Amino acid sequence: MSTSLSLLRSPWVRGGLLVLVAALLLVAPLVLPVFWNQSLTRVGVFAVAVLGLNLIMGYTGVVSLGQIFFLGVGAYVAAYGVTNDWNIVLVFVLSVLIPGALGLLIALAAARLGGLAIAMVTIALPIVGVPLAKRLSEFTGGSQGISARFSGAPEWTGLDNDQWQFYIVLVIGGAAFVLARNLVRGKFGRALAIVRDNEAVASSMGISPYRYKVMAFTIASMFGGVSGFLYLAAVQYTSPETMAFHHSIELLAAMVIGGAGSIIGSLIGGAYYVFVPQITNAIAADLTAVIQGAILLIVLFVLPGGLVSLPRTIRRLLRRNSGSGSSGADHTPPPREPAPAGTSGQPGNTERHGNT
Amino acid sequence: MGTFVQLVIDGLSAGSIYAALALAIVLVNQATGLINFAQGGMAVLSAYIAYAFLGWGLPLILAIVAAVVVSFAMGAVIERFLIRRFEGGDPDTAIVVTVGLLTLITGIAGWIWTYNNLQFPSLFPVASIDVLGAVVSVRSLGTTVVIIAIMVLLQLVFLRTKLGLALRAVADNPQSASFSGLPVGWLLMVGWGMAAALGAVAGALVAPQLTLTPGMMDTALVYALAAIILGGMSSPLGVVIAAWLIGVLENLAAVYVPAIGHDLKIAVPFILIFVVLIVRPQGLFGRKVVVRV
Repeated sequence: MSTSLSLLRSPWVRGGLLVLVAALLLVAPLVLPVFWNQSLTRVGVFAVAVLGLNLIMGYTGVVSLGQIFFLGVGAYVAAYGVTNDWNIVLVFVLSVLIPGALGLLIALAAARLGGLAIAMVTIALPIVGVPLAKRLSEFTGGSQGISARFSGAPEWTGLDNDQWQFYIVLVIGGAAFVLARNLVRGKFGRALAIVRDNEAVASSMGISPYRYKVMAFTIASMFGGVSGFLYLAAVQYTSPETMAFHHSIELLAAMVIGGAGSIIGSLIGGAYYVFVPQITNAIAADLTAVIQGAILLIVLFVLPGGLVSLPRTIRRLLRRNSGSGSSGADHTPPPREPAPAGTSGQPGNTERHGNT
Repeated sequence: MGTFVQLVIDGLSAGSIYAALALAIVLVNQATGLINFAQGGMAVLSAYIAYAFLGWGLPLILAIVAAVVVSFAMGAVIERFLIRRFEGGDPDTAIVVTVGLLTLITGIAGWIWTYNNLQFPSLFPVASIDVLGAVVSVRSLGTTVVIIAIMVLLQLVFLRTKLGLALRAVADNPQSASFSGLPVGWLLMVGWGMAAALGAVAGALVAPQLTLTPGMMDTALVYALAAIILGGMSSPLGVVIAAWLIGVLENLAAVYVPAIGHDLKIAVPFILIFVVLIVRPQGLFGRKVVVRV
């Protein structure tokens, strides 16, 4: 097992895997049934929202309970632009910039108080957002919502709508993931990790926790806007219900269960967000909330790093059982999880040091 | 003038409920340093427990008292078996735990008692009296009086009893409290129990007004959090005053500012917060915390 694991770490194998996964994703919509295409498209939509939440919460350590609000704003801006026949590129840019500007304004005030206050302010966003969306019926269609069809497949492609939507989400969502990965691995990501670990240390190093929190929050809001645009492309309809408070909580749960401070975890979180309610609804509709709350608490108890840390945890347990010294992984470099360097409170980190 | 007085008194009554919830949150925060987002959900569950006692034939006042007692135990048990594991760790994780707890508790309430609105009787008669030419409901006045009485009682417990002294010591510095022989674990459980009991009172007071549903306290929780930000985490009195201020201002704004109206009045505390945060980041009554490396 350990040889296959060390094989996984060679750049050639990793590159090959990446190409394979990309090829699979490109072919998948052509062969999968409509239901699966639509589900996977929605996974992509919410994975981007979770990714944004991860940037502010997982990487910066600022709790946000309002991410769904930015998704909602993005979806509304996109819907309004599409129904008014604006250029689609302009619509996309606006549905990223407007949530970003709102996020900047909110963070400018809330980040003055530190992490807990941001949590307390952001909880208000979906709760104020729903009546606000109903009130601004001129732009939002009130409680009825607003539908906008712009993501139908063009004639020349010969594709069905669900396949075309899959590709839209794949391209834009994929770009968002690459962008986020580069962001958190670079200088910016390291600064966020220091802010997360110890604000006092960060300021003594000349990194202003305030400025970085505001920046991270703004970027997270922009990712929310992107996912809002994708949401409209996939669902073609939005209403005040889109940004209801419980959705925001589910988004938070999805992030934690996928893995806070992890890019892959965001993808797992998106899958959790889409598939688990479908499953729990099928099992027992009136138990859905109980099951979801219980899952979240159980994951926090037994797997604080989220599902993404599951292989690492299993490997550690196996190694403990098979005795020490027999592992071939001892001299290989540590697994390059896309977690930021030095995130405290993440058991994965100390384990990694144990590996080397 | 009549409308104005009526709006102010109704605002004070609504603000009192936010204040009760906010005090419960501050109580837990001062003892453990975490914000319990499940406090509203726990209050709803307490109201449902009172509802169950009513169904078994207990008179209203006894049902509420019984629910307060059960809630105290519930709070203590939650602290001991769930929260304790995350205390002193990463505060973000602890917050997510309370959010998970909120989902779980709301789900349990919805599962047992359905998501339909249930009628909960009021402690106070559905009557109104004349105050300065305004028609004021007895319920609004009664709610305000009950909350003020509880606040005074809490203040007395904290300042005049041995238990209160011990709780303050734990809140101030758990480590040295434990060195001086205080049972820190027990005191934390008591703190959580007291917060849950306080929430139970808030739940019982708000349930007749909103009818009983699992999501009943979501909005009240938001107001309570706003009151905490405005009042400053370290000042219980400031939190109560902020809650009243929010209750009164939002009521006035709903009527006198057409652009806000009744559906958007929840935005009022947050506009207020924006203004205050720009001027006084530590809240109206809070102390500034200095961190050393």
